[in-house]
Amino acid sequence: MTGSIALLGQPNSGKSTIYNNLTGARQHVGNWAGKTVEKNEGSFTYNGVKYTVTDLPGSYGLSGNSDEEIITTDFIKSGKSELTVVLVDASQLERSMFMLAEFARLDKPAMLVLNMMDVAKDMGKDIDTDALAKKLGIPVLPFNATDTKDYDKLKKLIAEELKKPHRLSVKAPEGKADVKADSKAKFDWVSEILENVTRTRESVYKMSKFDRVMTRPILGKVICIAVVLLAFMVSMIVMLPFAGVGQMIPTLLHEPVDKLLTGWNVHPWIVNIFSMMIPNTLSFTISMASFVLGVNIVFGFLEETGFIARAAYQFDGLLSKLGLQGKAICPMLMGFGCTIGGACGTRVMDNWGQRMLAMSIVWAIPCASIWSIIPVVSGMFFTWWQTMLVCVGILAYVVVSMIIVSKVFGRKLAPMETRSGMIMELPPYHKAHWKHILKEAFFKAWGIFKRALGTVTLVSLIFYVLSFSRDGNVNNSLLYRVGTTIEPVTKFFGMGWQTFVAFLSGAFAKEAVLGTLNAVFMGGNSVMEAAFFSQGTSTDTALLGTAMSQAVSAAEALAFMFATTFSVPCLMALSTTYKESHSLKWTVKVALFYICNALVLSCIVYHVAELFM
Amino acid sequence: MKLTDSTADMQGRILSVGGDDHFMNRITSIGITEGTAFQTVRNDRKMPVLIYLRETLISLNRADAERIEVEAV
Repeated sequence: MTGSIALLGQPNSGKSTIYNNLTGARQHVGNWAGKTVEKNEGSFTYNGVKYTVTDLPGSYGLSGNSDEEIITTDFIKSGKSELTVVLVDASQLERSMFMLAEFARLDKPAMLVLNMMDVAKDMGKDIDTDALAKKLGIPVLPFNATDTKDYDKLKKLIAEELKKPHRLSVKAPEGKADVKADSKAKFDWVSEILENVTRTRESVYKMSKFDRVMTRPILGKVICIAVVLLAFMVSMIVMLPFAGVGQMIPTLLHEPVDKLLTGWNVHPWIVNIFSMMIPNTLSFTISMASFVLGVNIVFGFLEETGFIARAAYQFDGLLSKLGLQGKAICPMLMGFGCTIGGACGTRVMDNWGQRMLAMSIVWAIPCASIWSIIPVVSGMFFTWWQTMLVCVGILAYVVVSMIIVSKVFGRKLAPMETRSGMIMELPPYHKAHWKHILKEAFFKAWGIFKRALGTVTLVSLIFYVLSFSRDGNVNNSLLYRVGTTIEPVTKFFGMGWQTFVAFLSGAFAKEAVLGTLNAVFMGGNSVMEAAFFSQGTSTDTALLGTAMSQAVSAAEALAFMFATTFSVPCLMALSTTYKESHSLKWTVKVALFYICNALVLSCIVYHVAELFM
Repeated sequence: MKLTDSTADMQGRILSVGGDDHFMNRITSIGITEGTAFQTVRNDRKMPVLIYLRETLISLNRADAERIEVEAV
């Protein structure tokens, strides 16, 4: 036996918390057919019966013609789910009951969940749920989304209702042609229902201390930036123990596996796959997933307390120029630390289009690894003040790059008509529920680990095949042959085969760039070792600098730095974006754009620099 | 007066909201309808206007707030 339900509620009604707690790990994420709106489906089992749960996209109403509202209305009308669970926020009862007024017109089986009863109680609000149920003709369940005991009551009620569903017995609000009159009719309907159910006390609103500070025009912005940078550091701290264990895998496995397989006379091509590529790929993926864990914990916390909404208030004006909501400031700042963190930090965005656009823009932000490479490479060719200029130039181009990306992809991902300014609620400051945050973060990190491992292994294998050489000499690798063959072309873009190979390895891992330069200019190690054993190889930058400056002109070096900085982020960030967006098409589209953009940029920088240097 | 001309802590009422259907849908579904009582919480230069209405703290960007006529009560 099976049953199916749908969850309907406004943003901030606690819908996703209830969805996650109901379904746990049994979730499937995709997109609604032909739409850039995320589709969440999950299931739970209660008393041996399996129930599927559809989390309908969040919106404030159903009458508008946004994709979210059309999808929701069509889905409910289709009857694909047997019962709609309507969620309202008990602490903002009158306003959030608007959704029920909208739903009433669809006339389908339903039950009502009054979430955040604890907050309502703290506010001194009395709600007579029995009287409300009587008036509406459907069951009403008082609820706290963070109280695990309440879920049993919810599941029990769902099971009962599916056997004998109720429809609203109260007449739906009258439809009016004029939007203004129509909304008024709906709110009048709500007021009528709530009469004698609850009293709204007229009182003067006093901002909390938290809000008084967070909404200050300048201080608020400074705090937002500081908090996100702190959040990045905390994420790193969460990652360290896991990543440490992950890094032990290649160290422990490399030699024994190498010895064992070589002893069996296995071809070195195969030996290296098992002794070097697979252990390191595993280690990379563990580091990535543990960082995702850290980011999800801190962002979960910031979201639940209401911090993200305040950041959105502070930065909306600035980011709306890029077609983004103000909330995007958090993943963007995170991107200066690590693009993986930026990509999974976009979880705070309200819809899929905004998420994908934010991820595409976060890619333009040079991560900490890039900032550790650029000064080193620049130092080989330029004086300290010229290096400063290079960094300033890169920072300036970050802004240009963001604008280009938002122009190219913004129209499709965040259509103009959906961009009409910010109308947003600032939910009251909530205490964080750690158990719930941790549980969700672990689910996410584990999911990313499982799903990314395949992608990462596949791309690693390709890079391995390209960089493999039996004796460690670069000249015997496929990469060398490909690089030298197309050198006439890459030369036009300002890169010789050596810097082009280093540019390619940057798409694999930014940390590999210096090791690759070392391999191609000095032969000190192989490109393969640079890519998979980046922590094991050491680079003497002084010697490398001498070798490089003999082979490469300053203009070429400058072009190379720009190309490396503004190309695609590393493989881990790419696969995080793919897993977070569930869209291979868009990830590839944006990646191709970045590669082309990097080459064109390199070409321009090279030819312009040649005029002056 | 326009909502953007109101001062912090002013108690008022929404007189009229103007704009196309898309805007009207958005603004009314969050609860800003004619006749609703509200309180201006913050109105700083170049920042969104913060109002308290139907037990909710709402942030509106200035361009949208300009389209809302209010009166003090």
